[in-house]
Amino acid sequence: MLKKGDVILVALILTAIILGVAGTRIMGAIDRSDSLVAVIKQGDRVIRRINLEKVGNAERIVVSGDYRDTILVEKGRIRFEDADCPDHVCVRTGWLSEKGDTAVCIPNRTMIKITGEKSKVDIVTD
Amino acid sequence: MTKKVFNLIVLFFLLVTFSSCGSSGSVQPVETESYDIMGTIIIQKVYGKNAGKAADEAVKELKKIEGMMTINAPGGDINRLNESAGNGTWNTIDEKTMYVLKKAKEFSQLSGGAFDVTVGPLVKAWGINTENERIPSKDEVDNLLKLVDYDDILINGKSARLARSRQIADLGGIAKGYAGDAVIEVYKSYGIESALVSLGGNVVALGNKPDGTQWKVGVRNPRSDEGQYIGILNVTGKAVVSSGDYERFFERNGVRYHHILDPKTGYPADSGLIGTTIVADLSVDADALSTATFVLGLEKGLKLIESIKGVEAVFVTKDKKVYTTKGLKDSFIFDDESGEYEYVKKG
Repeated sequence: MLKKGDVILVALILTAIILGVAGTRIMGAIDRSDSLVAVIKQGDRVIRRINLEKVGNAERIVVSGDYRDTILVEKGRIRFEDADCPDHVCVRTGWLSEKGDTAVCIPNRTMIKITGEKSKVDIVTD
Repeated sequence: MTKKVFNLIVLFFLLVTFSSCGSSGSVQPVETESYDIMGTIIIQKVYGKNAGKAADEAVKELKKIEGMMTINAPGGDINRLNESAGNGTWNTIDEKTMYVLKKAKEFSQLSGGAFDVTVGPLVKAWGINTENERIPSKDEVDNLLKLVDYDDILINGKSARLARSRQIADLGGIAKGYAGDAVIEVYKSYGIESALVSLGGNVVALGNKPDGTQWKVGVRNPRSDEGQYIGILNVTGKAVVSSGDYERFFERNGVRYHHILDPKTGYPADSGLIGTTIVADLSVDADALSTATFVLGLEKGLKLIESIKGVEAVFVTKDKKVYTTKGLKDSFIFDDESGEYEYVKKG
């Protein structure tokens, strides 16, 4: 016969296991979700990679080349704030905040694009 | 007493400071993304003192390889080889192209013809992912099949020729693989010890990550968007190359016609596999074998891979089952983002 204490103990252990498994699942789900990353490139070269969800204070990044672009980063969004190139298409594109959003300054060969990056792998084959 | 506590606190902060310095936080790679080489996306992540120079040099090397080995590069080795098919002319071939040609023949033999670079005339007829893509008639396919035979790539010292006219050697299934190895050699010549390169999804890792842990390479989910994976391979200095029916294809009347042609039938391979991933020391080997096993199918594919030392594989079947070779028991972590796959054979 099980004593009352045993039943409570078993119940406690079972609860702990269920909570543990659920916790791991939930954490796993959070872990595997893509984080929003802004990639700043000039030509072929990646200059900066910024996790937009982790931006604290707003930051300005200057990209020099044939021209000079100023990029403004805030939590969750990024844009070309200013450029001394002739056409200003990049500045007019405005804020980028969603996966797939892209802005380009062709004269300075600067590009900002937002990608979803996986935290658990370095790269995926194709 | 209080002094002891104070010392302990100081020591604690020193430790925290040093440990955070030592971790990966401070190491920034040189990263590049190119879209104009070998018709694919090239991604580099290079760590170390000369990373920038190494990455630039790697791009130069890739352009050189492209000029020699792609079918459409006028005056390139492969272009001349094909132009002179059957006319008896011996073409002087660069030693790099010669190495790839010899590798191609080697894997043709090893796979019993499941991999064959002379499948070129059929590749051209199907025109998959070109503006000329179409389904050739059975007669046309049967006719062109007669031109497919890797033994017709004749090699004599530094020269090569194709035995019969209208034959075409197409290094599409192996040149990118070779290029991955060439990039790693460039890195090494600059003293780089930690890097990752992806040539259109052919991944080659050099060493470990700068923090000493292994590279984590996701194995592509063949039935999902780019970037989704079904498992993770932990690797140190290995090539990881995938082939699948999802890479390039067109659909007619609900049928998928993909780019990996079976050199025996002349039609897109229909072996029951939808994705193959090979892990090997050399990416040229991994590239050829991923294609060969895709054509061979699960059973013959597993058998072939298990017979080659130092080469491992992950296979995905049409019914969404995942199989791995024995050697991947510890380095492959089944982690299917979609929840649709089943991990059947763990070595």
